Parts: sequence; structure tokens; C-alpha cells
Amino acid sequence: MNGLAKLLGVDPEEYNHWQLHWLPDDPVVVLTVLAIVIPLALWFFWTSLNRVGSRSRKLLLFALRLGAFTLLLLVLLKPELEFRKSQSLKNSIAVLLDNSKSLSIKTKIDESSRIDLIKKALEANATYFKNLEKDFNVDYYFFSDDIEKVAVGAVKNVYRPYRPYTDLTQVFDALVERYPGQSLQGIFLFSDGADLTQESGEISRNLVERLKELGSPVHTLQAGSNAGFKDLAVEAVAASDFGFVQQPLRVSLTVFASSMGNRNIPLVLKEGNHFLVSKIIEVREDTKRFEVELEFTPQNAGKRIYTLSLPKFAGEFIHTNNEKEFEINVVRDRIRVLHLNGRPSWDSRYLREVLAHNPKVDLLSFFILRSLGDDVEAPISELSLIPFPSNLLFDDYLSSFDLIIFQNFKYDPFIDKKYLGNIRKYIKNGGAFLMIGGELSFQGGGYSRTPIEEILPVSFRDNPRPLVDKVFYPVLKKEFSRHPILRLEKDLELNQDAWRSLPPLQGINMGLVPDENAHVLIGYAREKESAIPILVTGNFGSGRTALLATDSVWNWNFRNVGSGGSGRYFQRFWNNVIDWLIAEPETRRLQLESDKERYREGEQALIKFKLLQKNYQPAVDMTVQLTLTPIKTESAMETELKTDEQGEGIFPFLPDGEGFYTARIQTDLEGDSLTEEIMFSVLKDTAEFEKPLVNETLLKKISEITGGRHHLLNGSDDLSAYRIANPDVQVKSHSRSFSLWDNWWAYSLVMGFLVMDWYLRRKSGLS
Amino acid sequence: MRKLLTILGLALFFIVGVESVKAIGASYSNLTLPRVIYRGGNDNPRPQALRSLLAQISRRTSIEVNREPVALNISDPELFHYPFITMAGDAGFDPFPEDDLKILRNYLSYGGFLFIDDNSARADSAFSASVRKMVSALFPQNPLGKISRDHSIFRSFYLLNTVSGRSIVKPYLEGISIKGRTVLVVSSNDQGGAWSRNKLGHWNYDVMAGGYRQRQLAIRLGVNIIMYALTLDYKKDMVHLPIILERLRRYNPR
Repeated sequence: MNGLAKLLGVDPEEYNHWQLHWLPDDPVVVLTVLAIVIPLALWFFWTSLNRVGSRSRKLLLFALRLGAFTLLLLVLLKPELEFRKSQSLKNSIAVLLDNSKSLSIKTKIDESSRIDLIKKALEANATYFKNLEKDFNVDYYFFSDDIEKVAVGAVKNVYRPYRPYTDLTQVFDALVERYPGQSLQGIFLFSDGADLTQESGEISRNLVERLKELGSPVHTLQAGSNAGFKDLAVEAVAASDFGFVQQPLRVSLTVFASSMGNRNIPLVLKEGNHFLVSKIIEVREDTKRFEVELEFTPQNAGKRIYTLSLPKFAGEFIHTNNEKEFEINVVRDRIRVLHLNGRPSWDSRYLREVLAHNPKVDLLSFFILRSLGDDVEAPISELSLIPFPSNLLFDDYLSSFDLIIFQNFKYDPFIDKKYLGNIRKYIKNGGAFLMIGGELSFQGGGYSRTPIEEILPVSFRDNPRPLVDKVFYPVLKKEFSRHPILRLEKDLELNQDAWRSLPPLQGINMGLVPDENAHVLIGYAREKESAIPILVTGNFGSGRTALLATDSVWNWNFRNVGSGGSGRYFQRFWNNVIDWLIAEPETRRLQLESDKERYREGEQALIKFKLLQKNYQPAVDMTVQLTLTPIKTESAMETELKTDEQGEGIFPFLPDGEGFYTARIQTDLEGDSLTEEIMFSVLKDTAEFEKPLVNETLLKKISEITGGRHHLLNGSDDLSAYRIANPDVQVKSHSRSFSLWDNWWAYSLVMGFLVMDWYLRRKSGLS
Repeated sequence: MRKLLTILGLALFFIVGVESVKAIGASYSNLTLPRVIYRGGNDNPRPQALRSLLAQISRRTSIEVNREPVALNISDPELFHYPFITMAGDAGFDPFPEDDLKILRNYLSYGGFLFIDDNSARADSAFSASVRKMVSALFPQNPLGKISRDHSIFRSFYLLNTVSGRSIVKPYLEGISIKGRTVLVVSSNDQGGAWSRNKLGHWNYDVMAGGYRQRQLAIRLGVNIIMYALTLDYKKDMVHLPIILERLRRYNPR
């Protein structure tokens, strides 16, 4: 080797191994081709030498050709010579210390916690591990769902159970990456085996693959046991992320019970302090897990936080897992609209079309198709008319509607007057009501001095001609130019143009006097007279009401098409009206949101708010009160904030620990007390306590698969019997390679053989 | 049975109410049925038809009507004031100019309704041929088709399972629908002839082959067509279906 090294200009002292590499790109193909072609070529060549008389010349020629082929073969197989410096590697041992939260569990009150058992075992076997360090690199790692290397001297001081999840597959995956090759000769795994990703009594295929890939024995040291472990827990809650108002929602969960005896235990579902549903769980000693299904109906839209709770029993080792909160975003599936029409008309027909084609709207409409004076000249069996279900609509199911529309509708005789009181109550509790004009509306519908007059933002003046035939262009009130109902276009100037492009209306319900708090968004201004209200909005209790004192808004649709326009603004107008009436979030004067719905522990939350005046202009430099309350503790944090020139503000907030938080903002503006509330969550890291049992089976299987040993820690453990193999493993430190084919020598030799072959053939009289 | 009749009577009482609310006025919002004027042929073969139908609508339903006759050209700027227009005839007519077709196409596509009545009482009449030519020019990709018996037109006010008229040339209606809304209906059965009444209240034309019942069914169909244009598929709302289907099961008027 030394001579060869010197020939190639390499210092023989620098390397202690050499190796020849054959590096064809596709050896199978190359060797197959060569195995066929070379013998054939040689045979052909040998037969072509028949004319050469001299046997020695014949052999010489054949030898030259054989030499040329041999050199060609070597070139094709791309030989490389590698000089290598190798050295023995010190083998490694990994000591894995579980630092997940479940290690804080004690099996019995007077016992050590699981982590204490591990600490004791490390202390008691400190000499054993010290001795191992003579022959091995002993690496210490904390692990949960990843590994974190720690200096041996620091273990005692920094080892604490705080990590939220255990995932052994990821842990061994990280080890495989960290110890490529054969240097890792053994692993000591100190853990309770409470891996949330593993099914009870089983080991996942992924974990088995990782263990086999690792190829080192894993000695499992089990901390804690399940004997006498007493606990009751809400485990594995499965509920949809969102639900619909008034639609039943199903929640599935598992209740875990260990050492609880035979007893009936109530499980309760609450929203805040409001009780929703409960179920009795018949806990039996021989069963650990009980599958439970609950059903409830959310009543209000928004992010709702629900709590599942089990009673807390004396002697339980973990009380935190007796309660579990979960969040559901409750939305309106569709806006339920009740649309009553006093008689078929073009105004009602085009509005019905908008409502029926709006995918957000679930429409229930009724047309009064005949009145008492009409003679249908047919028995009722030949009519498609149905009885008007007033008691169902205005008693049983009234609260299920989001919006009620009376369009040119006279309530008598279809609705009993007492039901008008129900409508008032419905609005007061947050409902929405719209009255659209016509001769059967307002005074013409007999609504004077009824609860309907009370809820509408106008009072009725006795008028002998309540509906007058008058063509007019509606006038938008400037101060309400930003009102969401009037926003046909986002840009204010374009919006003005849009309104100006609409055709005139015809017919006005007269004698409507706006209340003090009413907002007249559109009026009809006559000279020397105050404006006549056309579109008026107001609030009644928690609900919103509006009226439109004309029955010709359909002009903005069909007639506008005839003028070269379209029905787009008509549809947008009605959609705006509906959105405002049902108080969609973007139509609220005080708006509140957080930049995220869920935060990690320690992450800063941004609380944003916007305050608008009654006319929806920004409320500048106003003070708002922001209260942030963790749901569990009720210890609120209050602060006062100011709005900027856009009526907006932002507040950064660092939540104090995990859980659900309520952000509530409140202010008084223009005589109104405005309040908004949102919820957000900070991720909970108590998942370890949902499955707190020691997973002995898993630990045993890990040892079994890898050829390691399993041991249950008892506080006085001796690990000296554990022997770790220490084979001599050589690893390459550096090397140098030389190509034996890709040089002039190789090519010159081939050429030399071929030229000599040609020369001798010529001399022998061959072509 | 008596009990059932009492219940139905009470139900009807609640449907119809106890007080008529008509005659407050405001004719601008009342239903008007303009007649389309066109070139060639005869655009008003039943001069009393629409007034008579409006009288029946006023008498039988809660719809308020303007009985004054209105006639307009397709190019009339007031066309879009009237979402329902009618077209009648008994002879062939000149093709509509392209501009008129464009206006009519817009009119029907964006919310208007056209009722065409062939008063010739003949199958394959010249009026019918002109109408088909016009309709095919209007909606080349959307040909006239038979209107099925479960269409809302047959249940918008009366429950009907037959198509009537003064002369029943075709026992069905034809029509064109756009995005689920029927925008054009063609009758070949001289509906106007069955509706027409003079000022003394006498029928202007005898119905062919049938009698009182046939005329009544023609009037009912007219009421239903108007009611459909004003309420669309309202009678297909789920709240109506159980009662309507039950009545249809029991009742089979001829």
C-alpha cells in the first residue's frame, strides 16, 4: 500500500486503510452488456485470425486484443482507489427522562410522585452511570414530544414535570436522527409510558418501525403504577367546531373512572352558570371508560364556551380533569324571515324574489289572496288556500324567527290583537321587525294605539288619506351617509351616485311622526315643510325595527332595468336592511374582535375595537371601558381606552395562563349604553391529565421489541445488573480518492494495444 | 262530514277575514294588464277580455285592479311600469323589429311576464306561427315547451288539472322559463273569448263544446296566471304542500 500511496503522491502515514471502489452508474446493465459483447467479439476476432499461419503471432494478436478489451472493461467499471483514515468510536448511551406533566402524579397520597421515583433511581445509581461514562458517551435527555439534551450535572436542578404532551414516536424519531450508524448501544427510558398518541394496550406501527430503525436495546424504567390509582376524568370530548342556533348539537365524550367503586355519578353540561343538560353515569368497578353522548340546543349565536363537569371526590389524585371546557362557534344557519303580505302586489313579489333567492334566508311567507268580500265561485276543496296559522306563528314559534316583515298587511282578522303584544315582547328580547308601506300598513292596517305603534320608531297621526299617490325622489339624510343600510357602494361618492341613479318612487304613507330616538335615513322633502319620513330605523328593547313608508321600492328593480340600469342596488338595499335589522356584527355601533381565536400560552393577544356614532360616523376620542376576565377565576382586569380619529382602538394583552377569556367592552355614547363581548382561548396544556394512567404495557412492549429490559421503579432500585455491549466501531475521519480510469495512462494503454494490434495485423497480411 | 264542513268553513273564515279592505284608493299600485300593440294582424280581437278578467280578479281575489284598458308598444318607455303584459291575436303579424325583441328579451329576463292568447280557435293558426317565430327569435336557445301540471300556475289560487278556454285547441299551456321562473305563457285556446263580457254582464262569445264549467275553468286559469306572476312559486313553499296535495288527491275537477 505504501508504494502505491507514494506513486500517487499520498503520505502513507496519514491513512491507515485503503479500498478499491467500482463505480459504474448501472452495474447490472453494464456487466450484462459486457458479458455478451466481449466473448462474442473475442470469438469473432479469433476466427478472423485463421489466415495467420504463425501460431505465436496468432496468440500475440489475440493477447493484444484481449488486453485492449480488458482495459476497456476497466474504464467502463470506473475503478477508484480510496485511502482512508479510520478510528475507533466511543459508543453512546442515551438516558431519557420523561418531563411531561403526568410525572407529577402520585399514585397514592403518601407516595412519591412519579418524577420523584425517577430522581431517586438516578441518585441511587449515580455510580453506575458514572462508571458507564468511562467506556461510553452517556447523554442525558429530557423528553415529552421531543428530546432536549441536558448536562448530567444539571439534571438534578432542572428536572421538573411541565411539558404538555408525550409522544414517544417523535422522541425515537429524534434519537434516530441524532445517532446515525451504530454508536448508540443502549437507552435507559425513565417514564410512566403515558403516551397520548398510543391506544390503550397497543403499540403503534410507527413506533415499532422507529424502534427497529434505532437498533439499540431500550431498557424501560417504569415510574409509578396503576394499583389503587383513584381518579375521575372527562376524557376525549368530541364536538363540532361550529353549530347552528336552535339546531341540536351532539357532544361525545369518554368518562374515565379508576378505583371509584360502583356508583352513579352526574355529568353536567353548562354554559357559564347556565345549566344545559345532565346525565347520570353508572360507574362500575370493572370498567375504566364510559362512552357518553349529550345533546343540547344552542340559543344564541357567537363563540360559546361550554363546561363539562363531574363531581370531585375525596381521595382523587387529579381534580383538574374532572372539568373540561370546549368552544363552539354558534352561527345562524340561515336567517329565518316571516314575510306577511296583505295582498299580492309587484312590491311584495320583487321583495319575495330577493328573499327567496338569498341563500342566507330561510323564508316563510304568506300572502292574503282573498278577503271576505271576495266571491271565489268555488268550494274550498278547489282552492289552494290554506288557513293562516296565526297561533303557531305568533305564539309557539315566534321566537324562532330572526325577522318579521309586515308588507301592506292588515293584521285584523288574521292575527288576534293579543299576538301583537307577543310581537312587542319578541322585539324587546332582541327580535327584528319591518313594516313596509301600502294602504294596509300603519294607520290603514289599524295599528294605531297597538303594540306595533309602540315598537315602531314613529307614532301615527290620524290621517284621512294615509297613502297618497305622489311621485318623488327620496332624499338621503347627509348625517347617515355611512349608515350600513344606505351603503349601495363602499365608496361614499360612488354611493351617492348609485342613489342618484335610481328611478323615483311613487306613493307615500303619510302621518308618521318620527320618535325622538328614531333615525330618518331617507325622507321626502317638500318646500316649506319638514321632510316626510320614508325610511326610518329605531331600537326597541334589545331589538331593531324599521319602516318603509312607500310600496313602490320595486321601482328600483324592474323599472330601473327599463331605464338601462339593473336590479343590483334593489337587492343590495334589501340585503342591507335585513343585515341591519338582525344586527349582523358589521352593523353594530360598537365592534370588538381579537386578532386570533386561540392563543398559545405566553402569546400576546390583540384586542381591537371600533366605535361609531348613531349615524355610523366614527366616534373620535371617546373613552371605552375594556374588561378582560378569565372565565374560571372571575378576577377581571379593567382598563380605559380612547378611540382614534377612525373611531378605532387596539389593546395588547398578555393572558395570565391557559383557559378561556372574556373581553367585554362598554361605553356610553349619545345616550346609548353600548356593550360588546367576545371570547378567546389560550391553549390548555393539561392533556396529560386526561389519560393519567401509567402505560405499563407500552413500556414492556418497547423493551421486548428492542431486546431491552423492563423494570418497575420502587425507590430503591439497583441498575448495576444492566450490561451494555461495547463493540469496536470504526468510523472514517477523512479520506482521499483517486480515479484509476479517468486519466491519460488508461486511455494511452488502450490506444497502444490497439495500434500494436493494427500494426501486427497489417504485417500479417490482414486488413 | 258536517263536522268537517264546519272546520273547513271556519278555516275559510280565517282565510278571508271579516272585513273588506278595498276601495281606499291609490290606483298607481293596482294591477294593470296592458295589451301589446304590434304591426300587422289583429292585436285586439277580444276588446272586452282583459277588462272582464280584471273584473273577475277583483271579485274573486284580494288583488286591487285598474280596469282601464292600457295598450302600448314594446318600445313604449312606460313598458317597464307594467311587469305583466298581454298579447292577443287571431291572425299572423309582422315580425318584431330587432330593437323591440331586445327590449322584450330584457323585459322578460329581468322580471317581466308576457301572456300570449291565440284567439283564432284554430290549431296551427297564422297567429300561432307568428308567435312561434317571435319566441324563437327572442330566445333561440330556449324553445317553447309544455307547462307541466305540477307547475305553480295550476295551483296559485285555484287547484286546476286541466287547461280550458273558449275553444280547447290544445289541452295544455306552453311557456318559457328562465332561472326557474316562467316568463312567458302561450295559450292556444282563446282564453280572452271565454273571459269576455259586455257591459250588461252577458258573455260575448259562446264556449265551444263545453258550457258554464268550461268558461269557469278558463276564468280560473286566467286568475291563476295573474296570481302566479304576482306570487311566483309561493304555493310550492313547504307550508302549503301538505294541504294542497291532500286536496289534489281528493279532488279531480273536469
